[in-house]
Amino acid sequence: MPRLLSKEALLRLFAVGLALVMVSSCAVRTDQLARDPNTVRMALNGWVGYEASAVVLQHILQEEMDYQVQLVRLEEQPSWQALDQGVLDVILENWGHEDLYELYGPEGNDTVVDGGSTGNEGVIGWYMPAYVAEEYPNITTLEGIKEHAEVFRTAETGDKGEFLGGSPGFATQDQGMINAFDLDLEIVYAGSEASQVTEVRRRYANEEPVLFYFNEPQWLQQEIDLVKIDFPDYYEGCDADLEFVDCDYPLYDLNKIFRKGFVEDDDHAYRFLDNWHWTNADQNQVAAMIADEGMDPSEAAEVWVEENPDVWRAWLPEGYETR
Amino acid sequence: MATVTEPVGASVTGPTGSGGPGGRLRGTWVQALLVVAVLIAGYWAARLMGSPAWAGGFPTGVGESFMAWLDGIYEWIVANRNDSPLFLYFFNYVSVGLGSAVVLINQFLTFLTWAGVTALGVAVSWRIAGWRVALLVLATFAVFALSGLWNEAMTTLSLIITAVFIALLFGIPLGILAGRSEGFHRGLRPVLDFMQIMPAFAYLLPFVLLFGIGNPAAAVVTAVYALPPVVRITALAIREVPKGAIEATTSLGSTSWQLLTKVQLPMAKRTILLGVNQTIMLAVSMVVIASVIGAGGLGDAIYQALAKINVGQAFQAGLAIVMLAIAMDRVTGAVGHGAHTPDIPRRYRLPLWGGLLALVILVTVVGRLFDLGGWPREASLDIADPVNTLYEVIQSSIGTFTAMLGTWTLNWVLSPLSALLTGSPWWLVVLVAAALGWIFAGGRAAIVCGAAFVVIGLLGVWDNAMDTLSQVLVASVVTIALGVVGGVLMSRSDVLAAIARPILDAMQTLPPFVYLIPAVALFTIGRVPALVAAVIFALPPVVRLVNDGIRGVSAGTIEAAVSQGSTKWQLLTKVELPMARGSLLLAINQGIILVLSMVVMGALVGAGSLGFDVVFGLSQNQLGLGLASGLAIVCLGLFLDRLTQGRRAPRA
Repeated sequence: MPRLLSKEALLRLFAVGLALVMVSSCAVRTDQLARDPNTVRMALNGWVGYEASAVVLQHILQEEMDYQVQLVRLEEQPSWQALDQGVLDVILENWGHEDLYELYGPEGNDTVVDGGSTGNEGVIGWYMPAYVAEEYPNITTLEGIKEHAEVFRTAETGDKGEFLGGSPGFATQDQGMINAFDLDLEIVYAGSEASQVTEVRRRYANEEPVLFYFNEPQWLQQEIDLVKIDFPDYYEGCDADLEFVDCDYPLYDLNKIFRKGFVEDDDHAYRFLDNWHWTNADQNQVAAMIADEGMDPSEAAEVWVEENPDVWRAWLPEGYETR
Repeated sequence: MATVTEPVGASVTGPTGSGGPGGRLRGTWVQALLVVAVLIAGYWAARLMGSPAWAGGFPTGVGESFMAWLDGIYEWIVANRNDSPLFLYFFNYVSVGLGSAVVLINQFLTFLTWAGVTALGVAVSWRIAGWRVALLVLATFAVFALSGLWNEAMTTLSLIITAVFIALLFGIPLGILAGRSEGFHRGLRPVLDFMQIMPAFAYLLPFVLLFGIGNPAAAVVTAVYALPPVVRITALAIREVPKGAIEATTSLGSTSWQLLTKVQLPMAKRTILLGVNQTIMLAVSMVVIASVIGAGGLGDAIYQALAKINVGQAFQAGLAIVMLAIAMDRVTGAVGHGAHTPDIPRRYRLPLWGGLLALVILVTVVGRLFDLGGWPREASLDIADPVNTLYEVIQSSIGTFTAMLGTWTLNWVLSPLSALLTGSPWWLVVLVAAALGWIFAGGRAAIVCGAAFVVIGLLGVWDNAMDTLSQVLVASVVTIALGVVGGVLMSRSDVLAAIARPILDAMQTLPPFVYLIPAVALFTIGRVPALVAAVIFALPPVVRLVNDGIRGVSAGTIEAAVSQGSTKWQLLTKVELPMARGSLLLAINQGIILVLSMVVMGALVGAGSLGFDVVFGLSQNQLGLGLASGLAIVCLGLFLDRLTQGRRAPRA
């Protein structure tokens, strides 16, 4: 095969080799993406409470501290992945996810940092409208729900009761609870919080029964009257096997998750987010303005910021004006 | 969509010419009904025997280990994304490069300020497409500005520019290769088929995995999704260059390169531009879906508005996307046929471009002097509230009726069909699929159909796949019925066609998300709203293809039929529809593929099944389940595709 060894072929080989050497001399890590140091990139998860926090912080960062804020709408798990890859800087409201912290935290990839509590406490549970609870007095207990599962039958679930799930991205143990408590229920996923809320509102307006996965803080809790079902309290390890969970959801102390590089930069934006701490009432106030009154999120944030300077002034880091 | 240009070949080889009116066709349908009867009998037999294990669903063992294997790959990638050479020297290059490109283009558009961007857009579109299109572009920018979505629109524009650039960079050379080499074309075709059957949601997950979250992955996935039409149409265009021209050139001693650049490409240019146009349209629709993986822009605006059930806001953002799509369609379309390009003498052309450039620079400078930036949000018109009011009125007036209709469909159509498919012994379903393939499309198709079902079983998602299949079947039947009626009506009247065309354009570019929430409000949660959304989504191309097919019937044939005294009905059923059979088959084919892709999105409103697993895999990072379900959808697509393509000419 003399052609293979011709001068031209050798030259080509050399060129390709050179290119390979040049390419490999500069390995690219995902966090090398072009990024403006003046921009804070926040994950925006799919529930309104989270958005309330995000827009308020966005407003203060932009108006008071002269930062740009980019909100990126993502599900929870991909948000963690985004922090790991260096595409985002912070998750503002994290519900549990110990497994992910193990994977990406100091024990694993060491790319994310637990930023401590936001001051909000989260409750997840099974809820139903108050009118259902009034009609069947004991239905909010484990025995009662077992007895009356047929109340929630729909065309979609046939002879089983329907349990309306939320977004597939949420952390759930519903199937495990149905198995463990031997309930005659079938989960129908609404697909997103929005469609779940639409459906709950529709049935509420018609006073139809509905049993669903929901959480607090949540603005809808103020608009309509809901009752949470009492299950045996959460205990350590009862949710280890998600196919068999004989307890209620735990109480969540909601926390912030930072990208490690963001913490190491230690600029004013980080310090501000680190200082941020507020109550469920604060968050609900903003969330209700957004979702219930249909206000533009940035306007809702502005209203809250104007009314509560004493709350948020305390979050501003020292010397932020001189930036 | 992409295969618009193919019916010609298919219709010639189809059994249309089998003279005897419907003789063989009737036989086909009788056979098919017999096969379905066997399936129903099998279902009841299995039920009466108490559904023994050997007559149930597909065993899931293999599928589970396959998913576990994929999950293992995912874990490895998470741990090694910034260590493994494969990522450091390849995937990260792509993602960091594209992500940075989007950021840079966006910064450039911001630098131009809204005034500069508008001036640039209008000037360029006037020069290449005439003043009508320029006005349309101006209107588009006005919609961006007045809806308060200027910055979002610029982000979307940057994403589309990046993605389309990448798609063309790879698509046109691939198309040229496929156009010049039969072997390459044959190898590429199934890949393109596969890409077009694969639902958008199933794309997202592996791309997130390889290219990260946000704009980088969004740009790549959009480029890949938008690739097939430009490859297909480029290949077709090269092939359609007249043999005579090629022979004349080669006989003059041209090299292969000269043949390509001097003859084939120039002659194929217009058709290739049609492919570019299609690619841009696909990119526009995918950019919206990519907001699920963190792409910013107009898609994100819709996504966020829907999260708050603010149909009005979603509509506003949707309108901006539709305007963007139509404007891009018209501009690239004009490049294709060049009809409205202002006629300017050659010697003035360069100065004119110079003048336009100077104008854009001037406007930009003025814009920067006044510190304009993006259009101020305060100066925007809010149409969200009236739309929301309208939506509530509609909901309260016909909501109860539609909810009842939904329940009826569920109880009497969807649930029985789903029960039939999931409850029958799996091997019987496989045999029935193969038999249907054989009846409708011959032996080869029978093997593909049967194999597709076996693969679905092996993937471990049998039950969900059968449930999805039931939804797809129902939605497809409705879509095709409505589509044929719509297409026939459109072909009867030019006025109707003129009115319907922009509506169809808009419907095809309107992001699927937008259809979902009103569907929920009218039909509650579950499979029915997903079905409705799928029908609306898949309808436009079906209508269009049917219309094109009927209009394509030669005037001579029609005249002959009329002169023999055919009534209008006879003309339609005996002449026009049979002659347009190729287009009809393609319409059915396209409709079904679109329905499939929308069914996945139906998971967002509780349609469950395969679509849910894909969404679940995406949002919980469970690659195994998500990808297996995505593949199962592709298998379903293959089955339906082969079934509806009809008998082809026996391969030599």
